[in-house]
Amino acid sequence: MRKKLGNIFRIFKKKEHTEEDLEELRLSFKERYHSFKLLLSANNSALEVMGAIDQALQGNNPFGMSFIRASSTAASVSVYKLIKHLNEISNNKYTELFLRFEEIQDSIQKILSQKKTIKDEVMVVPLRSVDRDMYDLVGSKMANIGEIKNKISLKVPPGFVITSCAYNLFIEHNHLQDEIDRRLQSVEADNIEELYTVSSKIQNLIINSKIPQKLEEDIKTSWDELAKEAGKEITVAMRSSAFGEDTEDNSFAGQYRSELNVSFDHIFDAYKEIIASKYSLTAITYRLNKGFKDEDIFMSVGCMVMVDAVCGGVMYSRSPLDINDDSIFINSSWGLPKTVVDGNSDCDLFVVSRKNMEITYRDIKNKKNKFVCYPKEGVCRVDITGENANLQSVSDIDICQLSKLAIKMEDHYLSPQDIEWAINQIGEVFILQCRPLKQMENLKIDYPEDLSNKENLITSGGITICPGVGSGKVVLVKTGADILSFTEGSVLVTNQALPRWASLLNRAKAVITEQGSFAGHFANVAREFRVPSIFGLKGILEKLNNGDIVTVDANAKRIYRGKVEISYNNLGEKKNFMEGSPVYETLREVSRLIVPLNLLDPDSFEFKPLSCKTFHDITRFAHEKSVHEMFEFGKTHNFSEKSSKQLFYKVPMQWWVLNLDDGFKEEVIGKYVHLDNIVSVPMLTIWDGIIAIPWDGPPIDGKGLMSVMFQATTNTSLSVGTRSKYTERNYFMISKNYCSLTSRLGFHFLVVESMISDRTRENYIRFQFKGGAADYNRRVRRVQFVGEVLEKYGFKSEVIKDTIICSLDAQEKDFMLSRLKIIGYITIHTRQLDMIMNGEARINYYRDKLHSDINKILS
Amino acid sequence: MENMKVLVVDDEGDFIELFVKRLKKRQIDIIGVESGYRALDILKKEKIDVVLLDVKMPGMDGIDTLREIKTKYPLIEVIMITGHGSVESGLQGMIHGAYDYVLKPFDLEVLLNKLKKAFERKRLKEKA
Repeated sequence: MRKKLGNIFRIFKKKEHTEEDLEELRLSFKERYHSFKLLLSANNSALEVMGAIDQALQGNNPFGMSFIRASSTAASVSVYKLIKHLNEISNNKYTELFLRFEEIQDSIQKILSQKKTIKDEVMVVPLRSVDRDMYDLVGSKMANIGEIKNKISLKVPPGFVITSCAYNLFIEHNHLQDEIDRRLQSVEADNIEELYTVSSKIQNLIINSKIPQKLEEDIKTSWDELAKEAGKEITVAMRSSAFGEDTEDNSFAGQYRSELNVSFDHIFDAYKEIIASKYSLTAITYRLNKGFKDEDIFMSVGCMVMVDAVCGGVMYSRSPLDINDDSIFINSSWGLPKTVVDGNSDCDLFVVSRKNMEITYRDIKNKKNKFVCYPKEGVCRVDITGENANLQSVSDIDICQLSKLAIKMEDHYLSPQDIEWAINQIGEVFILQCRPLKQMENLKIDYPEDLSNKENLITSGGITICPGVGSGKVVLVKTGADILSFTEGSVLVTNQALPRWASLLNRAKAVITEQGSFAGHFANVAREFRVPSIFGLKGILEKLNNGDIVTVDANAKRIYRGKVEISYNNLGEKKNFMEGSPVYETLREVSRLIVPLNLLDPDSFEFKPLSCKTFHDITRFAHEKSVHEMFEFGKTHNFSEKSSKQLFYKVPMQWWVLNLDDGFKEEVIGKYVHLDNIVSVPMLTIWDGIIAIPWDGPPIDGKGLMSVMFQATTNTSLSVGTRSKYTERNYFMISKNYCSLTSRLGFHFLVVESMISDRTRENYIRFQFKGGAADYNRRVRRVQFVGEVLEKYGFKSEVIKDTIICSLDAQEKDFMLSRLKIIGYITIHTRQLDMIMNGEARINYYRDKLHSDINKILS
Repeated sequence: MENMKVLVVDDEGDFIELFVKRLKKRQIDIIGVESGYRALDILKKEKIDVVLLDVKMPGMDGIDTLREIKTKYPLIEVIMITGHGSVESGLQGMIHGAYDYVLKPFDLEVLLNKLKKAFERKRLKEKA
């Protein structure tokens, strides 16, 4: 290659080329043409991936680290290719770009390789030495319970924590992380079925791994100490405790596993199962929806001596549903608090006034069963027979005592608390767990007047779990398999409010259950995701069928048939759960190095490699220069055949044409090429579109014009060099079946590229359009407008800030040509439309005009 | 795609078997091997146009193999196969002269298109 270029340089010096020289020049040109095509394709993929990143940042769909990694690599590879091909075209004129590229790439890499690390080395710590500052080592849940035990001196069972270091050691010892990543990252996030399979495979992998000997020994030592302290044989409750869980907005309630009443014989198996539950389907989806990095979650496991409870439950130090309600809410059941937490049967509810500790509300349920400890190991659910089922499960005295504890804890943490408690055989009250409680704003609902006597009321009752109104198609969920068939926007109807249904919450419009407690895990997560929910609505399963359309008013606890419009202030609307999360922030940081475009004006002095701050800058620069280099080739090599010609259509036009291969009917001598000498099918089609309907000049709008003037004086890159304001440059590069058009008029920049022939599969049109002089919002509205119009005609469109990329692929020749003609029309007629992009009426006028013009063109 | 000869290198035997079968169905002349060393052996004997090369292999990894190939046979085009865990090595591959990369699991049509373009490029370079 280098040798060949040397030859070419020698060739310049001669005035006349020999036939041999010409052949060599043609070949050299052909290579450049090939590189140019590859460059354009890299340009398109770079812009596409930028569009995808920009789209992800809108935050409407959850994404994980694998999306960020894959997109960053796709962007860097495309940009690398661009630079490489630009240098091939230009005889290595722009190698400086590689340096800029490397710097940007390094910064991206730095962001992506940030990883949370644990500095400590201790494997097991006794609970008596834990406080809330140790959340890194013992996880949030155990840090909180340690704090309660040691700083407020509440009664908490003794225990120890197997730390996050132990977790790391376990994972490293078995070389699990790479394998987990590999499996996890190859699944599509929204393919629940696949996730389900991968989740069980990873869990198996973990369960079949070995616990390092050192860790086994440390756990054994701690166990023996605990048993000695208790002075008898012990069993423990084991609970997951991960970093980042148990915060107000991210409770992770019930997402990980707990094991109750575990003897030493099974402590290691139980440990592995809890670790494995990090990869349960619900936990994976929860993390994804909330933007937690998988690799930053270290699972600690708390082991606390088992409390053989007579009764237990969950209490809230304030109402979770109404920020103005400071009553204490106590849920209680017979036996272990597991009954309340799991949400699979009914339990008692007491509401206590904070002022005088009076019970203001009591709802005593028929409690059909309870969980109890087996003597040696494990727990089981037993039926409650006789009158016990209907008895109040916790005494008024204990309710009062519990309420006081709740207030004490709230005072310590200075925020509302969600507390799990249990009372043992001799009447001691234990605190087993606590976490911040999220309170919701009270909803204001505007009921239509005629709603109260609506005939389509199906039923009413139950308890409000999360306020709000939602409607959709009923999906009855009974088994795990039903999870797979749950579609977006449906209403989840189920018997028990089990934590396993949590993975559906991101897609559910509302939830109705027959049984379940106000304080269960599933209730917590439903509130976190703000899904209107009613629990404990008896008989609903018999009243509804799969596919029924219903409206759930969780405030009034009513279910209507069909879609009923009930408006309320949208505090209850789902928000973007990703924003602010670690994963979201990582993408935002990375995107700052990829997406923004700073190089706007190719005529400005600042338009140079050194000014490229982002991948988008490099992309824009490389594209501009590639066109320039292609057009320069003929001139610098004194090679008329591959020099650009000025288009002659009635008069000489401000349009230039470069014949890449077989785009001219016959060799052009001299300066001009006449339209009838052009045989490039795509170019002629674009031209037809351009001249189809005369352009009636820029739309006039006083303010719009002001906006244009204002931009011109504030945006330096637009105003540097007055000539840039009105320069018009249009470059066609053509062969028989191929055409690329780069056009700049004033502030507008557009690129059309198309290949159309009988080889349908290879056909494509790419249209990229950016800029305009009006303010940013108008520019964005214009590209959205253009995208909207083109999508009607079958194009796919993607908007990145104020740039739009539209594409159409692999359609029949005639269809492609008709669409390319629309593009030709659009290139002229959307010029400066940004000026009128502030009035709905004007926008509608122009939308109608465009569509009617296009219909004319197509007919 | 006529006359294109492809070599696919991946340490996952199952993948190779399935992949070779699918490409043969599409009339593509293809050989599969399970290591970088074996790949270099094949290249000594056979005239290969495009190599599909897994980035992550035990022993001689994808990038090492790529370097060897590009030193000994600069005209051969190489497309790297990366997994999600190793996606960053896509760029490593490009820097060491690969033509492109694909992310596993990939769409066969997308890969075929890349193979075709790599082959076109190789032919063009041979003429030059």
